[in-house]
Amino acid sequence: MGKKSTKDILAQLRAEAAAKKGEPAPQQESAAGAAAGGGPAEKPAVPKKPAAAGGSTKDILAAARAQAAGGGAPAAKPAAAAKPAAKPAAGAKAAAAKPAGERPSVQEMLRAAREGRPLQPAEPPREAAAFRKPVSPAAAKKARPEKTAAPLTRRQALIETITSPFVMAWVAFATATAAFLLATLRFLIPNILVEPPSRFKIGIPSDYPPDMVSTKWTPEFGVWVVNTVYEGQRQIFALISVCTHLGCTPNWLDGEQKFKCPCHGSGFYITGINFEGPAPRPLERAAIALAPDGTLEVDKSQKFQQEMGQWENPSSYVPVV
Amino acid sequence: MFDAHPDLTEAVVHGLGWLYVILFVMNAWWTVVAYRRGTHTRVRLFGLLEDGQEVPTAGFWALYSALLLMVAIAHFQVTGSYAAENFLIRMPEWLKVWIDAVIADPVAYFTLSVVGFAAVILLREWLVRPTVAWVLLNVALVFMALSMTDFDFRQIVGKPDNVPIVAMLFILGFFTWLYFRRAVENDRRIAEGRPLFEQEDNEKVLVWPDLVYTELICMVVLSVVLVAWGIVLQAPLEEPASAVKTPNPSKAPWYFLGLQEMLVYYDPWLAGVVFPSLILVGLMAIPYIDFNKKGNGYYTFKERAFAVSVFMFGFLPLWVAMIILGTFLRGPNWNIFGIYEYWDVHKLEVLNNVNLSEWFWLTLMQTQQPQSILVRELPGIIAVLAYLIILPPLLAGTVFRRFFHRMGFIRYMVFVNLALLMAALPIKMVLRWAFNLKYIVAIPEWFFNI
Repeated sequence: MGKKSTKDILAQLRAEAAAKKGEPAPQQESAAGAAAGGGPAEKPAVPKKPAAAGGSTKDILAAARAQAAGGGAPAAKPAAAAKPAAKPAAGAKAAAAKPAGERPSVQEMLRAAREGRPLQPAEPPREAAAFRKPVSPAAAKKARPEKTAAPLTRRQALIETITSPFVMAWVAFATATAAFLLATLRFLIPNILVEPPSRFKIGIPSDYPPDMVSTKWTPEFGVWVVNTVYEGQRQIFALISVCTHLGCTPNWLDGEQKFKCPCHGSGFYITGINFEGPAPRPLERAAIALAPDGTLEVDKSQKFQQEMGQWENPSSYVPVV
Repeated sequence: MFDAHPDLTEAVVHGLGWLYVILFVMNAWWTVVAYRRGTHTRVRLFGLLEDGQEVPTAGFWALYSALLLMVAIAHFQVTGSYAAENFLIRMPEWLKVWIDAVIADPVAYFTLSVVGFAAVILLREWLVRPTVAWVLLNVALVFMALSMTDFDFRQIVGKPDNVPIVAMLFILGFFTWLYFRRAVENDRRIAEGRPLFEQEDNEKVLVWPDLVYTELICMVVLSVVLVAWGIVLQAPLEEPASAVKTPNPSKAPWYFLGLQEMLVYYDPWLAGVVFPSLILVGLMAIPYIDFNKKGNGYYTFKERAFAVSVFMFGFLPLWVAMIILGTFLRGPNWNIFGIYEYWDVHKLEVLNNVNLSEWFWLTLMQTQQPQSILVRELPGIIAVLAYLIILPPLLAGTVFRRFFHRMGFIRYMVFVNLALLMAALPIKMVLRWAFNLKYIVAIPEWFFNI
């Protein structure tokens, strides 16, 4: 007999138990008869579960394995067909088959099951060492002959642990992951920056006639250079071309004399003050200064916000005289 | 006015001819349906026929179909650009001007969408009649066909991006209609004490083959539509992206245009973060807020009038109407343009928006704005807090009294706050349009604006 399924074992046990013990309860007898005859037709005879039935599935299994170890079970298959009828009786059978108090231990059950299997030749019980933590093959080979002798020293244990495939695999995995993360982080620091410099010269002040907005530097540096009167003073300043609502680039509309954002319709006067649409605050200014060579120099790294009163700062404009 | 209607080309006229042919076929079918139904209408011809005379309804549909066929033939007769440009069947100019004037005005547009929404609910019993629905569909299609003779309308509706949106509007209309048809039917049955439509007509079918075959057919049809769509309408690729150049107008994908419209009225953190999250959380909260056990597993309007109306208000005027506004009406510089209007970059809309604090201190109190930020914004802060703190108990005692008793304190507060925040969008829109109000609380120093 090759493999024996749990179902088979169970059914066989039940059948045997039913046949062997012509015990009490007429209902059980009828159930047993059904099992022996292999007839599934005895459905109405299905009895109530006896109150005394205390045998768990585990018990049944254990008993079945023990019996299977003794003899083959040619009757198992037909008995399986009788299973529905036999089931209620099984509890009582199992309880009866095994006197209370001497339940086999798990090890016993395992051993019995193993011995019952012809495919697996009975081998001597493994030494406790087999259940030890896995060690590298080399270490294990070395350790085996003197296994029974002196226990491992701490150094040996440490070496064995470190050189075990388990630890080595995790270390390799962690290293690879860390290297990958570092490589990713490295991408945040480019070797060369193609961004324009934040300081750049924009020519002499007379390049910017009064009341005009120069869009000359917008594509490259993202600033408008404006020459207009702000708070009674004519000045040249650089407005950063980012809408203060959601960061689109507004367009300078010369006819309407305003900056108009295409995303949500915010509008700004030539001075950069917001007046229509949802932009909550004026455009920001970049720092601007007259360089010693007479040209204007814009520094985008420094920003000036009107609502913070920073447009008073002399670095935010160049007065025109 | 800028003359931006240069051409009605032969190709366009012939294309419209085919549209009229389709309309003719649809209505010919409808004529047959009406004939089989055999309904009659009494015609009095303004008293000319004294008592009137019974006329089969199918007769009118036959007349209409014949007219459509003649219109289609007239379209096919056009050859050459001269004939096309002088083609007579087109949207009348006065009507275009009138429609533009109504639609390009946000107040009128929003009012119209709300009134339309209310009308759909109030007139639902009338709207769900098949004849009414069919007439409305015809009106919509003829309107589309006539509008197509306008150059600017073709530009905006024929954009590859927008074609599916137009189709979706028709689908939306159909499903809304279908809901109301089923709901009205069930409401009638409930009133008469008859079993529900879903109970009476609950014959079960098999997954295989009934459902699986339907799904297979849908799959095939949908694949064909997608392939045809992909071939016919080219992907609208634009110039390479640049951080310093924003396309004008710059539009979000169509399904986010409601949010983009919201961003016109609110600060980014509110319209871009808080409100979208609230929409999602609010939709998830509906089953927990709802205490009405009716309407489970069947269509009904009367038994869930409040829930359905509120949801539809949020969906139709506040979401779909905003998508239409964003898709078809918002043009360069995010100005509103009529559907027949040329997208003039230099269209001037005078909008001088002021914050509540500016209006309060400078106009009302005739003084300088206080230096302290919190004092300056006190009127706005008080208004917002009053809206969110005083209104809930006030509503609990009046309009929502029944709700408050049924829901209990916590559920009621969740419900009423969601409702108030939903109402905050139209309120702010109206304030912006009517009073040019920019922000109620404006603290740009702290990036906090409401």
